[in-house]
Amino acid sequence: MPQTPIRGDAASDAPQHTRGGWLNRLDRKRHVGPFLPGHRLDVAGPSTTAVHAGTHDDPRTGAVGTPIYQASTFLLGADQYGSIEEGFARDRFIYSRYGNPSQWAVQEKLAALEGAESAIVFSSGMAAITATVMALVDRGAHVVASADLYGGTWNLFNQEFPTFGMSASLVDPQDFSAIEAAIRPETQLMYFEAITNPLLKIIDIPRLAGIARRHGVRLVIDATFAPPVAMRALEQGADVVVHSASKYLNGHSDLIAGVAAGPRKLIDMIWPRLLNYGGSLDPHACFLLERGLKTLAIRMRTHEESAHALARHLESHPKVRRVFYPLLDSHPDREVARRLLKNGTGNVTFFVESDQAAQQLVNALRIPKQATSLGGVESLVSLPFNTSQASYTARQRAAIGIHPGCVRLSVGIEDAADLIADFDQALARIAPAKEQAHA
Amino acid sequence: MRNSLPTAALSEFVNEVAAAPEQAVMDYGVCLDWESGTRSCATAKPMRVGPHRVSRSFTWKVDEPRQLMGLNHGPNPQELLLSGLGACMMVAFVAGATAEGIQLESVRIDLDATLDLRGFLGIGSNAPVGFPEIRYVLHVTSDATPEQLASLHARAIAHSPNAQTILNPVALTGEIVQSHDEC
Repeated sequence: MPQTPIRGDAASDAPQHTRGGWLNRLDRKRHVGPFLPGHRLDVAGPSTTAVHAGTHDDPRTGAVGTPIYQASTFLLGADQYGSIEEGFARDRFIYSRYGNPSQWAVQEKLAALEGAESAIVFSSGMAAITATVMALVDRGAHVVASADLYGGTWNLFNQEFPTFGMSASLVDPQDFSAIEAAIRPETQLMYFEAITNPLLKIIDIPRLAGIARRHGVRLVIDATFAPPVAMRALEQGADVVVHSASKYLNGHSDLIAGVAAGPRKLIDMIWPRLLNYGGSLDPHACFLLERGLKTLAIRMRTHEESAHALARHLESHPKVRRVFYPLLDSHPDREVARRLLKNGTGNVTFFVESDQAAQQLVNALRIPKQATSLGGVESLVSLPFNTSQASYTARQRAAIGIHPGCVRLSVGIEDAADLIADFDQALARIAPAKEQAHA
Repeated sequence: MRNSLPTAALSEFVNEVAAAPEQAVMDYGVCLDWESGTRSCATAKPMRVGPHRVSRSFTWKVDEPRQLMGLNHGPNPQELLLSGLGACMMVAFVAGATAEGIQLESVRIDLDATLDLRGFLGIGSNAPVGFPEIRYVLHVTSDATPEQLASLHARAIAHSPNAQTILNPVALTGEIVQSHDEC
């Protein structure tokens, strides 16, 4: 068969056969990627990285920006057939569930932002989480995970794991002796979230990484609430970082996507799970995500600016009982936050006197949208008691710190002064408790 | 993938280990619990691949035929020894063939060994307690020449951990821990 051009990562080639020698003659080494050919960004600041890394101008037309490769399949030739035979099909374009230039472009940007060798985008954060977890566990495996887990991840451990003969122990993410005590001989994975929802506990990832290393266990961090620019979880010691990219990474509340990033060795183990479970990201969604990511650094700075100002204002407001924002001096984890966070985020959680008052408040707000999710350019507000933790009883909510009157707010990039004025007018419309009692 | 093995990943592992030898250290363990008579239950313990733990969760029964006072509820220790040897030679042969670029259609390793049980029973004779010889035939269908297969066979045996364990003296160290259960 005639040689065909390399359509994929030109730095990747088949190993030489051993030719009468043994396995030590195999010469292919693991390398970063897979990446499209072309410019590779050297070390750069977060904004430059967000704008330029992984963005590939069209070589045929000179069009600026990565084209949308809206194709399910690719022309095959000897080179691609060889990649399948020799086991490096991830490095060639064959079929879009395996890989597509639009996916590779945004994966390269995400890998650069996270300081990772490799990344894979998925059709949702849960697709990324499921593929990552299942790649790192075996029959009979046990996982130690946070007791404050996102509900979707909890469902994976609670509903799917027993079917596979696997189990998970949920432990207070800040009780390090309990975490260490939960590790069993068959424990393969520790799974934690960088910042918890809704109380915004800052988890000491370096300390978790120390425990994981001591026990030969892998550490996966869901950094959805702490995207790069705010934190690079891999630098803190995580083996793999996963995100719901629907939140801060995309930032515009207009797509569902996920990502897993880490060393090439582990991401190559996750890739077959992507193929088997099928949660691949459509090329057009890749374009949207890549475009959204270009403004990640500037958005995160503005999220922090507006959220921090609003949090400070709320903290001084007589109708607000308690405010949780990691950069406030009053935050229980402020020391860990100062050590781990390079930038704040938009998430602010606060308490008014009752769930009824909280509902009055969000109904009266004009700028924030009353909707779940977070990390969008628009402020989003919701109440855990009737959304994320609606299935809990009031007592169960209190046990994890969600007392009545809890408001979950994701501050967008609107002007702080406008948000403050809006919250002032909405807080003023909360009826006094006495009137509520007689209503 | 040739022979369902990713040569690229095998090559990457080889080169990783060359740079970081600790990744090549494999800790294995099996635990045997006596069940009844000659029957025991074996459980694979979690192993380590390099510094990382791997859950195994495999158990199997080991027994002797009725003629040897057992109930024939599982393969016997000698069959497990032969299967452990043969399966290890198989991995080495298939990995070696794949790295060589040889496409395999079928491989069968047929092992036989004869034991004189007088050694076990302590009946005075010159018979060794263990196997004096293990015989095997490798049945292969592939695109390789006979010379390639002969060379591959020799290299596979030379690199098979279980074959080399059997061919070379091995230290067997043990101790007894007594517990005093109430009867």
